[in-house]
Formats: sequence, structure tokens, C-alpha cells
Amino acid sequence: MKSDSDNFLEIKRHEMKMQQKKYELKQQVFVMQQQIKQRQEDKLFYMSLVCHLSGIHLEKVMQMKESLSTVFQSQSNSIKSQNPSSGYASFSKFSNGYVSNLDKKVFWSCGSRLFSSSQEAVTCDGLTVDGIVANDWLILDESESDWKSHASAIAQSICLIKKRLKWKKLKVRLEMLSYQVEKPDLWDDPVHAGKISREHGSLMGKMKEVNGLEQELIEHIDMIKLAREENDPDLESESVKALLRMRQNVKEKELEALLAGEHDSCSCYIEVQAGAGGTESMDWAGMVMQMYKSWAQRRGYGVTVVDEMCGEIAGIKRATVRVDGEYAYGYAKAEVGAHRLVRISPFDSAKRRHTSFAAVAVTPILGDGSHHVQINESDLKIERYRSGGAGGQHANVTDSAVRLTHIPTGITAACQNQRSQHQNKASAMAVLQSRLDQREMARQAQMNAQYSESLTDNSWGNQIRSYVLHPYRMVKDLRTSYESSDPDSVLEGEINDFILSFLTDSMDKENDEE
Amino acid sequence: MNLTSLVRTSHITRTFTHSIKPISSSSSVSLSHTPTSLNPKPKTPLYLKPPIYTTSLSSLKKFQKWAKTLSSSVNASFKDSSNLHQELNWLLQDSLQNPNILQTHEENDNLVALRLKLDDLYDLWTQRIEKRRPFQYIVGCEHWRDLILSVEEGVLIPRPETELIVDLVNDVIKGGGENGDLGNGLWVDLGTGSGAIAIGIGRVLGDLGRVVGVDLSDVAVRVASYNVERYNLQDKISIKQGSWFEPLSEFKGQVAGLVSNPPYIPSGHIDGLQPEVGRHEPILALDGGDDGMSDLLHICNGAASMLKSGGFLAFETNGEDHCRFLFDHMETIHKESFCNLKIVPDFAGIQRFVTGFRS
Repeated sequence: MKSDSDNFLEIKRHEMKMQQKKYELKQQVFVMQQQIKQRQEDKLFYMSLVCHLSGIHLEKVMQMKESLSTVFQSQSNSIKSQNPSSGYASFSKFSNGYVSNLDKKVFWSCGSRLFSSSQEAVTCDGLTVDGIVANDWLILDESESDWKSHASAIAQSICLIKKRLKWKKLKVRLEMLSYQVEKPDLWDDPVHAGKISREHGSLMGKMKEVNGLEQELIEHIDMIKLAREENDPDLESESVKALLRMRQNVKEKELEALLAGEHDSCSCYIEVQAGAGGTESMDWAGMVMQMYKSWAQRRGYGVTVVDEMCGEIAGIKRATVRVDGEYAYGYAKAEVGAHRLVRISPFDSAKRRHTSFAAVAVTPILGDGSHHVQINESDLKIERYRSGGAGGQHANVTDSAVRLTHIPTGITAACQNQRSQHQNKASAMAVLQSRLDQREMARQAQMNAQYSESLTDNSWGNQIRSYVLHPYRMVKDLRTSYESSDPDSVLEGEINDFILSFLTDSMDKENDEE
Repeated sequence: MNLTSLVRTSHITRTFTHSIKPISSSSSVSLSHTPTSLNPKPKTPLYLKPPIYTTSLSSLKKFQKWAKTLSSSVNASFKDSSNLHQELNWLLQDSLQNPNILQTHEENDNLVALRLKLDDLYDLWTQRIEKRRPFQYIVGCEHWRDLILSVEEGVLIPRPETELIVDLVNDVIKGGGENGDLGNGLWVDLGTGSGAIAIGIGRVLGDLGRVVGVDLSDVAVRVASYNVERYNLQDKISIKQGSWFEPLSEFKGQVAGLVSNPPYIPSGHIDGLQPEVGRHEPILALDGGDDGMSDLLHICNGAASMLKSGGFLAFETNGEDHCRFLFDHMETIHKESFCNLKIVPDFAGIQRFVTGFRS
């Protein structure tokens, strides 16, 4: 076993090495900064460059320093704090020690600008967003027009958004992506490159949006303080109003942050399948499908029935609809699982109470180029179904339903809503692609412990919600305990609250566990 | 039909070697066959008509309800074509300027723009149910592959099975290889009807590829030409009137590919056909003689002299018996002429097509 002093030396050596590396990087940054100044490139480019050059290494140094400070608290007097936000500041301070051979003034300005993108927004009197939250100001109603209430509410929202976006992970991921994006051989594999640069762009956007919110909040507060000093009530009330607007907007952003998953913004397929129990459960499956159709239409999504197998007497055996629109998958994925109905069955002449189930599956429609599975035509069994007889010139039918079976996996997809066989096949192919992608993502997620917890919620057989029409009337989500005593409106598509409560619940729970 | 445009494009002449005449040189002959102003213009499909009529949303919903009731009252007798619910949706889709309007649950007196009179909608649906008039004639079009083809009485409604011929041709063209550049050669569709196969192939051929569609029927030639123009393929596809190879004598031995969906129903089966087919579709396009093979054999025999070496052929048949017979016929009688013969099933698993190459 190594002694403490050995450990200490090793870590010190490592730290030296990292600092050396840091120094080299800083020089690079400096040279590039000069070049950029000359070229007068826009600010955006500058920011991304800074992220790429400094980000990943910086993060490593910060982590190293954090772990050091916990192990060797007595020796860590050079390390000011475990708080990563102040860590950046302390880093810029000690980095100055290595620039003695350069013009300190120039380098310091470089350093401070270098970290402006990741440094916290601070008011002129040193108030930060975290600081506002920590102050724990009393939050009054929006109508009170009290700037401290507004500011505190906004700051809390920003913290929630950061939590939902998994801010720390997002930063690390973004740094890794930035590093990859700048690799010269990235575009050797255009498909991979496309994925990387898309994800980079989207994370960058989120990062900027949140930083922008923080900046905006701080600026408004500064304005209010300035207005008070200058005794300018117009400016003050204007700024308080701006804060109020922000307080209202940021609530929406909280919701958006719930849908930060990689595929949440996609359109999707919703599939409903009747459980055992004959006509009663087929009728129930039909009701569930209708609930989603109405929900999607109310949200302004496009709804197309792709495949529908009706029950003999009522309802459906199964059906698949395509839901087109932004965040369709992000919302609908909250509905995956078994839905249970308890009622007096209208199909039972003895008027007994029945319990039936309908299973719901949701798969995302990934954009071209982001598929996880490549389908070989030779792996497909293509069948025309619901057709009988001699076919060809003998028959004039308008039905050209096609079913595809992916032989290696046994996964099937069917389509019958299109007016030509060719298009039914193309449409079934899209469903198959979506199902295979989903399957592959699930497989990858299983291997990747990071996602395993979210996966458990998504299995097809889990009962997630119960709809009781008799002897009492109640819809209850078994995951969140959210309930409604108005089953009729729920079945007419009023399921937003159920979806949001689940998303909020699962996401905030998941993040707390970290 | 605009065959003069074929003359204008100089590269067409390059398609064929100098020894053969360009496709247009005989057009004066075939033009004399083409219908003149005596014949009415092809009918415009419903979905392309201008939405100049209006009705209230509630009247439209009333029609929808009536039509549903009417179809469910007869559903049992429809057996093979019990897709009436879907057909009604499609009819409304084609009739309305904004089909989404029917998704609302409201019923009000707001005006809805229609492409035909509401009375005509009632009339058409009655024809569909009581006269068993094919849905495709009612809306004046058939969705086939990614095409929407104009169809009317007198033209066979292209079948879903036939779509596969275009896939077979596409595979051969994209396969390339030992048979040379078939995609830039001359293709022939015998008995083109609405022009479906000709247009399907025209869209997968290379820049220099050309298609000639042949049909005996006046109406078919008119409708096919109209469809070719609607897809702006008149520089690539010409429609000629005549019986099978008759208008093609100049292309003997030069054809890169020959496809056909000829009449193949045995005469004895015609009476027992589904009412939509037997009562409404042109018998000329259906009746294939006593055993249904007479046109197939005629085409098969002629194909040997039309195709150039390495040329491709694909025929649609009545099913397994036809396929076997044709396959054996080609393998024995035309042993020297054809090679790589294959029988290809349709998506319903019925052996439907015979394909092969000219040796």
C-alpha cells in the first residue's frame, strides 16, 4: 500500500503536468485570439473556440482539484473552495503565475474573456443566480410587483431548468463534443459527424439559452438598482415589468427542459393493443386510441392512422397512429405501459363489472441519418394481407394493405391507410424502422448504466394508470399518484396534466438521485 | 400527345444507333391513329377540379352519415371490396378543398368549398353502392405507386400487383452489369392502358432512356397521353395506337426492355367477375381468350424478335398455371432466344410474373 505522502506526490506531479498542459493551451489560445482579433471574427466563433480549447482540460483540472481538496483538506490551502463556480475564478488567479514571461496585462485580459462564457453572471454588487436562491427571499404573488419575488422565482426556475438539463453532465458532454467537432478527421465518417455536430449544436443552444437567462436576470436587477440610485421611477417600473415577463416566460422554459431527451422533439408512432378479454377489452383499446387522437389533435399535431385492426363487434384489436409535430415523442412517451379500465361492461348482458387492459407503445420517428439500424431489403418478408382470391385483373380493390416482417428480429409493421400498395409499403417501412430503432436504443441503453433507470419505466407491460368508471369515478396514475375525478374529459383527451406530472416527477426524482 | 417535342431534343437521336430511325420519324404514321378533336378530352380527376362549389359543414356531415349508413346496409354483399369506409373518406378527401374540416366534431353552417355539387356527391356514392361502379372511376383517378393516374371508363384501372413490374425493371436497370446500359435504351409497354407501367418505368430510366406505350383502345391512348403530360414526361414517353407490335416495326431488334400486363382472364371467367370489374372495366383489357393465354403467347413470341441481345422482359399473368406454362413455353420453344427466366410472386404470394432476358 502506498503511503499518504506517496499519494500526495503523485497527485502533485499530476497536477504539475496538468498545469503544464494548461499553460500550453493558454498559449495556443492567446495566439489564436490574436488571429481572431485580426480577422475580426464574430463573437460566436470566438466563444466556440474558447470552449473547445479550454473546456475539456479545464474541467479535468477542476475535478482533480475537487478530489484533492477532499482528500488533503489540510494541504489544500491553495484551493479556495469546492464550489466549481468559484473554482474557475481561482484558476484564473493561479494561472497568472505562469505567464511571467509574457505581457501579463494582455494575458489577464485574455484569461478573463476566456472564461466569460462559463463564468457566472454577477450583478455589480456581487449577487449571483445561486446567491439569489440562497438568499431565500420570500416569494410573493406575481401581482405584487415586488422585484425580489420576481428575481427569486426566476432564479429558482433557472436552477430547476439546470437540474432538469443535468447541467453538469451537459457541460461535460458539450466539452467532449466540442473536442470531437474540431477533430480534423471528423468528416471521414459523415453519418457519425452529422450526429455529433447535431448534438453539439443542440446542447450549445441549451447552454446559451440558460446562460442568456442568467445574464438577463442579472441585468434587470442591475437596472433596478441603478434606477433606484438615479431616482428614476419610470426605469424602475419598466425593469420590474421586464422581470415579471421573464418570470412568466421562464415557467414555460421549465416545461421545455423536461423534454431535453435526445429524441424528445421527434414525431412518433403510438400503438394501442387490446388485452385479453374479447369485445370489452377491444372497446377499451378503441377508447384509449381515441383519447390519444383527440389529445394529439388538440395539441395541433397531425394524426394519421397507419394500421388498424378493428374488433368484430366494437373497438380495435390493435392500431397504430402516426403523430406528427414537435415534441410529440417527448410527451407521448409518458404514456407507455398498460392502461386499466374498470366498469360495468355494456357488452355483458348480466351487467357485471369488468376489468380490462390496453397496452400502449410509443416509438420515435428519427430523422434521416440518425437511424440506429439499417434495414436490408433481403431481410424482409413482404405480404399483402386482407387480400384473397385470384387478384390481378380479377379483382378491383382499393385496399392494398402491406405487412412487413423483419426476419432477423421477427418485428412486424403493417400499413393500410395509403391509397397505393407502394405507399403502404413505404409507410410500413417507416413504422418498422421506428420499431427497430427503438429496440436498438433499448439494447444500447441496457448496456449503458446511465440510462437504465429511465428504461425501467418504459416497459410495455407495466400498469401505469387506472380508469375506474364504477363503482366510483376516478382516473389515477399509479406512478405519480396524480388523479382526476373526471374520467370523461380524460378520455376525451385531457391528459396533459397526467403527462406533465409524470415527466416532472420522473425527471426530478431521477436527478435528485444523482 | 406531343411527339414533335421528341424531334426537338437532339440527344434522342443519339439514343439509337444511326442505322435506326429516330423515334419520331414514324410519328406521322402513328399520329394519324391518334384520336382527333372528334373524341372528348380525357376527364379531369376530381381532386384536380377547381373548388367552385360550396355547402355548409352540417350538410356535408349529413351526407357523410347518409353514405355510411348506405354502405353498412350493403357491406355483406361487397365481400371482396369491403373497404367502403375508407373509400368514403378518400372520396371526401378528393372532393374537399380542405379535408381536415371533417375532423372537427362541430356541426355548423360554415361554408365548405367543394370540387363538385353536393347533389353529385350523393349521386356518385349511390353509383358506387348500387351500380358497383369502381371507386377509381368515381374519383377519376387511381393512386398507383407514387403516382396519381387519371382513369375513366374504357381504361383498365391499374392493379396494385402491377406496381411490382416497375420494381423488377428498376432492379434490372440498377443492377447494370453484363446486359449493358438498359436504363438508357428504348423500353416498350404493350397494352399500356392508363400508361401506368410506361410512366413508372419512364421515371426510373436514365436521361437517355425512352418508353413507347402501345394500346389499341382510343380511350386508353388518350388517357395515357394525358397522364404522360401530367407528369411532364412527353419528351421521354410516347404513346402509340395499334395492336401489340404493329406500330413498332421500326424498332425490331433494338428494344432494351419489353413489359406487358396483357388481358389474361380466361373468357369463361368473365361472367363471374366481381361486378366492379365485369360490369365496368373494358373487356378488351381483360379477356385473354379461352385459356387466357392467347395474348401472352402472342407477345411472348414477338418479344424474341423485338428485343436486342441482353434485353429484359417481364409479363404479368393470371397466376401459377400461366407462369408455369409461359416459363415452359419459353424454355422449350424459344430455347435459343431467352435465358435467365424467372417466376416472381406478388405480395399476396401468388406467382404472378415471368421475367427473363434475350440471349
